[in-house]
Amino acid sequence: MSVIQLAVDGIVYGSIIVLGAVGLSLVYSIGDFPNFAHGDLMVAGAYGGLVANLGLTQIGLQPTSVFSPELLVTIVAGLAIGIVVAVATHYLVFKPLDSGPIALLITSFGVALIYRSLIWMGFGSSARSYNFPRSGPIGSIRDATGLAVTNRMLVIVLATAVVVTTLHFVLQYSMLGKKMRAAADNGDLARISGIRPRETVLTMWVGGGALAAMGGVFLGLHTLIRPLMGFDILLLIFAAVILGGIGSIYGAMLGGFAIGLAHEMTPVIPGVGSEYGAAVAFVIMIIILLVRPGGILGEETT
Amino acid sequence: MNVTIPKTDHELGSTSVVLLGLIVLLGLAILTGALTVSYATYLIALSGMYVLLALGLNVQWGYGGIINFAVVAFWGLGAYVAALATARTSPLGLEWHPLFALVVAIIFSVIAAILVGLPAIRLRADYLAIATLGFSEIFRLLVANETHITAGMAGLAGIPSVLEDLPFDTVTTNLLVVAVAGALVFLFLRRIHRSPWGRVMQIIKADEDLAESLGKNAFSFKMQTFVLGCVIMTIAGVYYAHFIGYVDPTDLDPLETFFVWVAVILGGSGSNRGAVVGAFILVAVLEGTRFLTDFSIFAALSTGPLRLLIVGVLIVLIMRFKPEGLYPPRDELIWPKSQTDTEGQS
Amino acid sequence: MSSFELTYDGANLQKENTVLEVAGLKKSFGGLVVTDDVSLAIESGSITGMIGPNGAGKSTLFNQISGFYDPDDGTVEVNGTDVTGKQPNKIVQEGLLRTFQTPRRLEKMTVREAMLVGAQSQLGESILPLWISGAEVTREERANLERAMELLEFFEIDHLATEPTTSLSGGQMKLLALARALMAEPDILLLDEPVAGINPTLVNQIAGFIEELNQEQGYTFFIIEHDIEFLMGLAEEVIVLNQGRVLLEGTPETVQSDERVINAYLGDM
Ligand SMILES: Nc1ncnc2c1ncn2[C@@H]1O[C@H](COP(=O)(O)OP(=O)(O)OP(=O)(O)O)[C@@H](O)[C@H]1O
Ligand SMILES: [Mg+2]
Repeated sequence: MSVIQLAVDGIVYGSIIVLGAVGLSLVYSIGDFPNFAHGDLMVAGAYGGLVANLGLTQIGLQPTSVFSPELLVTIVAGLAIGIVVAVATHYLVFKPLDSGPIALLITSFGVALIYRSLIWMGFGSSARSYNFPRSGPIGSIRDATGLAVTNRMLVIVLATAVVVTTLHFVLQYSMLGKKMRAAADNGDLARISGIRPRETVLTMWVGGGALAAMGGVFLGLHTLIRPLMGFDILLLIFAAVILGGIGSIYGAMLGGFAIGLAHEMTPVIPGVGSEYGAAVAFVIMIIILLVRPGGILGEETT
Repeated sequence: MNVTIPKTDHELGSTSVVLLGLIVLLGLAILTGALTVSYATYLIALSGMYVLLALGLNVQWGYGGIINFAVVAFWGLGAYVAALATARTSPLGLEWHPLFALVVAIIFSVIAAILVGLPAIRLRADYLAIATLGFSEIFRLLVANETHITAGMAGLAGIPSVLEDLPFDTVTTNLLVVAVAGALVFLFLRRIHRSPWGRVMQIIKADEDLAESLGKNAFSFKMQTFVLGCVIMTIAGVYYAHFIGYVDPTDLDPLETFFVWVAVILGGSGSNRGAVVGAFILVAVLEGTRFLTDFSIFAALSTGPLRLLIVGVLIVLIMRFKPEGLYPPRDELIWPKSQTDTEGQS
Repeated sequence: MSSFELTYDGANLQKENTVLEVAGLKKSFGGLVVTDDVSLAIESGSITGMIGPNGAGKSTLFNQISGFYDPDDGTVEVNGTDVTGKQPNKIVQEGLLRTFQTPRRLEKMTVREAMLVGAQSQLGESILPLWISGAEVTREERANLERAMELLEFFEIDHLATEPTTSLSGGQMKLLALARALMAEPDILLLDEPVAGINPTLVNQIAGFIEELNQEQGYTFFIIEHDIEFLMGLAEEVIVLNQGRVLLEGTPETVQSDERVINAYLGDM
């Protein structure tokens, strides 16, 4: 496979990681703990989308392509579930805990297991897929460039681009966005300057849940939907967040693509196969933690 | 000057009561036919392994406040070194004596712990958690893919059972070995914990700068703790390989790490007896879910997710309602003998 | 104050009595110069005070002396040994011990356990001797326990010996920190605001303890304190630090009446 093809795959996978990483980074900086349930939150979103998707099929709507209103419904349903689950977990588990980051970290692992087991119980352990026709690589792109790009890949990258751009404008120009950035950059400062933490914390979970769910739906769209896929992607998302710098939303975007590319492009390294994609990403993560724990875009702190 | 040193009481803890209760329960289960004898002994032997793991993690997290999310990797290192060095099917074809393999596994464990610990130990707690989890996954991927060394996903079978030379049957030997290993590790840890060494660890856990300001080399103490904990986990892994006779990369699922964490925080971080009780309860939960599905209301559920659900709920509930665990550390870290009144001795 | 003149005379003459010598210490964070060319020497058996407005760099100076910060420039010598840039624990071994301005957390320890950690070079701090020379470890433990109880008695908190440190009041925490520091039998003790936020009765009591330790047992103190009244009766010499620089050194009386000091404090507070 050509290097450019690997890079294209990396951009697609990177898009999914970006969606997970932005949410995780928000929670990590504002909520002040690494949420180990974030991967499984993505999976919850993916299954939320699956329910809607199957419902549509049930009532006889048969999407002819992935570019369809049905996809929008699937995504929106996923987002709804992601938001509800994230906010409910905040009120039921994290908020009453009122404890240090390490206690929250350990608790979040329990939460991850609960999400995972409930999904597993509800949907079984076998892989599912959304009911969209799987089409091969788009002919015109292949003829022009020799690259294999499917409709699904296109959808994932374009939608992520839209979300990331929207997020940029929201963060840059809306009052809420400014508050979020302030809170993410410096929790103490935000508290002092009177930005109500309750509001920011809630926005953080809504935003984090929605982005996670969207990432989950796209992960399911890109591959298959499995109840255990959350953990596999969790560490990659952590790698992206750490690479970009915790609390830096643009860092998470950059880190997401970088990790996606690293994950897909490992065969470029002589003697290393694609089975080590995740390992290479983790090695990058560990190196960043050791030499520049603030991330490439973050503050240089230890 | 006439100094009286106050003494603390040392009653026999309720730990033994709980353990006794579990054993009685097991006995009853056998008598009523709910469990077969061989399954019951298997359970005890398995619990013994988790006791070792929990004791190892307790040294790191409980004594020193070091987060290690690579428990399964250090355990797996032991299991794999034992399997590769002794199994008939090993691609290395060594077929060493298991005791020799144990020594080699421990050496490997020390080296690996130092290599991981040297750079990582200084990291902030949450970074250390993520870094060790990353390390654990890298290890798993290596084992799964370096087929020419590890046999990869095929796994390694034909690992000789524990100390075959002893004049007992396999089941008895397993129990005996894990009981002796557990007891030795427990006593060893008790001695080093209730000592100046243990107290320094306690200060480091609370505040590293304070420890440094009192002349203690925090880094060196943390490394000792990390290495010691990892070696105990590796011993548990070596035992597992000989006990079960088969290992493959799916054994290295990070979930195992979190099972051990549950045992430690449920038992009470920093408390050795807590770790022991926690390990037994953990095995009761993990294996008990098998029987839950016998009851009609759970009949539709499979064991896998139910087990995860119970463990997950357990973590959330402990952290919320009993973060200090069932048996929080109780004793002062002063060896009883040094507390006896010195009056009238001179 | 009998020791006053003694030390004052010796300051220029007897170099070998210097426990702590700081030369040209400089430290900046980002662009902010926090200590700038600070030099000072402290004689064995003396009590030296340091005052200065908030943010003057006093704690930062202590942090550099005790090895918690690496100075950008300058040297620190303890008992004639250059300890610049060494790890804090190594500097303790040279005989310098410091306390912290803000109380440190001590999770789940009793007061006497916390005290015991102060003792230096304990055999039982290494794993091996616990096994091969158990009797000696036990003897050492007994001796340390006795010393701990003596010190707690001296500070009149021996009744709290087996209480958890978490149950101590702010003042009691300060006493414990002081008592624990003495477990190490240091050649010089750096105290960062030992009486900040403490009721006046206890403040006087602590002044009494420090004076007694100095006069009877010859302990050397270097004390940061905002409360100049506290230093008045105690220190032979007071160093004024302002915006990272030594503004003035002198007896408490001269310092107190110096115009620059009054300005520095008023100007910055
Ligand atoms: N680690 C650090 N990073 C950045 N700035 C620091 C650091 N430590 C101290 N400072 C800055 O150095 C300056 C001096 O601080 P320092 O704590 O030494 O003052 P101080 O004289 O002890 O004041 P106080 O009387 O309030 O205790 C302050 O402006 C502080 O913000
Ligand atoms: Mg200060």
